[in-house]
Parts: sequence; structure tokens; C-alpha cells
Amino acid sequence: MIDPVLLTVLLAAATFSTRYLGVVLGQYLPASGPWTRALNALPGCLIVSLVAVLLIGGGPDEWVGAAVALGIALATRSLPLTMIAGIAVVWALRTYF
Amino acid sequence: MDSRSEAMSGARAIVPLAIGVAAYGLAFGLLAAQAGFTWAETGLMGVLVFAGSAQIVAVERLAAGAGVVAALVAGVALNLRLLLVTASIRDLFVGRPLWQRLLGAHLSSDENWALTLARRARDPSLGYWFLVGGGALLVLVWVCAGVLGVLFAARIPDPETYAIDFAFAAAFIAISRSLWRGRSDAAPWITAVAVVIVATRLELFDASWAIVLGGLTGALVAAVRRDD
Repeated sequence: MIDPVLLTVLLAAATFSTRYLGVVLGQYLPASGPWTRALNALPGCLIVSLVAVLLIGGGPDEWVGAAVALGIALATRSLPLTMIAGIAVVWALRTYF
Repeated sequence: MDSRSEAMSGARAIVPLAIGVAAYGLAFGLLAAQAGFTWAETGLMGVLVFAGSAQIVAVERLAAGAGVVAALVAGVALNLRLLLVTASIRDLFVGRPLWQRLLGAHLSSDENWALTLARRARDPSLGYWFLVGGGALLVLVWVCAGVLGVLFAARIPDPETYAIDFAFAAAFIAISRSLWRGRSDAAPWITAVAVVIVATRLELFDASWAIVLGGLTGALVAAVRRDD
């Protein structure tokens, strides 16, 4: 079948170009001033945007799970514990309520 | 820390996230099988593209009967944020030879990028090889799970049954806690979230564009503030 291979090659080329363009862009942007403040703030802004999109796509179960996960993250700063707590709460809400 | 042990510690640290990736790899394999992919084609796509959500969306479009071009556009739109992902870790690539820049770019995914930044906030000596070690393990897990998903398509449970679909939301909440640098982050973050909410609520943009827009406007707010 030609479609899977064709799609793979094209998507791989486009995805790699996107990633590498970012590396090149990062190298040519100035190393101080507003550009640096923007680039330093960018990861956090992207991550909270990602979380916002995930939660907008969810419902009350996910919102409660997120609140519990945030509490655990604030208290422990532990990635595995936060994931386990969040998943457990969402699972329990979906299963029993 | 030498590069080998730094890569190993990156691989170890990514394990909780890799479990979530494995669950998604199985689901992706199931979808790929329905779209007519063989196990070899699924594995090939995993290695060459290595972008979970874009692969899922592109293959779903293909399975839905949209052509290759439509599937490609959907996948590419979802991947635009990767431009910002690799640009934001430029410190990791400074002074690296070309092959390392190429390798690091390909192995940058949401999960190991975010985890590397979170760990660097505590231990700045971690960097490029931590990212690459985590990325290498994720590629391995993503490809193996995808292939298993094709081979055992009939027996894969829905990730939602065990709330595994919530794994990434929880992980990114933990990671954003680690990325919080103090009160100067408040305005950029609130802006980013507000832009995402408005953009998706008004249906001005779909989710993948909303993420890019939220990230950029938040960064813009940080750029124009002078208090740090």
C-alpha cells in the first residue's frame, strides 16, 4: 500500500524540518533583551497552554483530577506521584460516579 | 557527569511518562491497523516522525478517507509547536556539532523537552544528553508499542477505561510546577491560558493553533515586561 509510506515520508520530512527550523531560529535570535525573556518564558507558556487545551477538552472528572494533581504537584514536586494521583482520581470518578 | 550517565539519567527520569506513551502507542497501533498500515509501516512511521499526536491525527484522517494531503496538513498543523519547543532550548544546542543538533532536534518531544527543562531548573548541569537519553527511550517505547498495537489490535483496551488518557495532563501539571520561576511568570501564564480559552471557546482556532498562539502571546507579555 503506497499511502502509509507516502504519508510517513512526507510527515517525517515536514516534522523534522519544523523541529530543526526551531534549533536554527534559536541560534540566530539575540542572546539578551526581549527575545531572551520571551524564549525563557516560552516553555512554561506552552505547557500551560497545552494543559488548558487538554482540560477544555475534558469535563468535571478531569477538572477535579487536575485540581488534585496540582495539589500533589505543589506539595511534592514529584512527577510520578502527581501522575498516579491524577489518574487514580479520574479513574475513580469515571468508574463510581 | 559524563554524557553517557547523563543520557541514562534522562532515560530513567522519563519512565513514568514512557508508560503513558506506551499506552498511546498501543492505541496508535490499533488505529494504524484500521487504516491499513502493516506493523512494519507503523514502526517506520514511529521512528521517522516520532510525534504521537500528529501521527494519530494524520492516520485518523487517512482512515476517515481524507487523502494523503489532508492527512499531512492535519499532522503538520499539530506539530507547529515543535518549532517553539526546539527554539526554546537553544542553550542545549550551543557549540554542538551538526549531527548532535540534528539528533537532538529529532528526539525533542513534549515529554522529554518539558522534563529536561523541569530538571534543569533544579540542576543546571543537566542538558543535551539528558534530553537525548529521554528521547531515545521514548522512541523505543513508542515504536514497540505501536507495532504491538498493530499485531494485537483485537485485544487492546481503550485508554479511557483506566483513565490513562489523563496521564499527560497530570504530567504536564507536575512539570509546569517545576517550570514556575516566580511571580514574574504569572502574567505570561495567565495570558497564555486566557488566549487558549478565548481562541477555543470562540472557535477561532482549533486546539493545535490555540496552543501555539497561547505560547506566543504569553512569551510576548514576558518580552515587554522589564521587571526581571
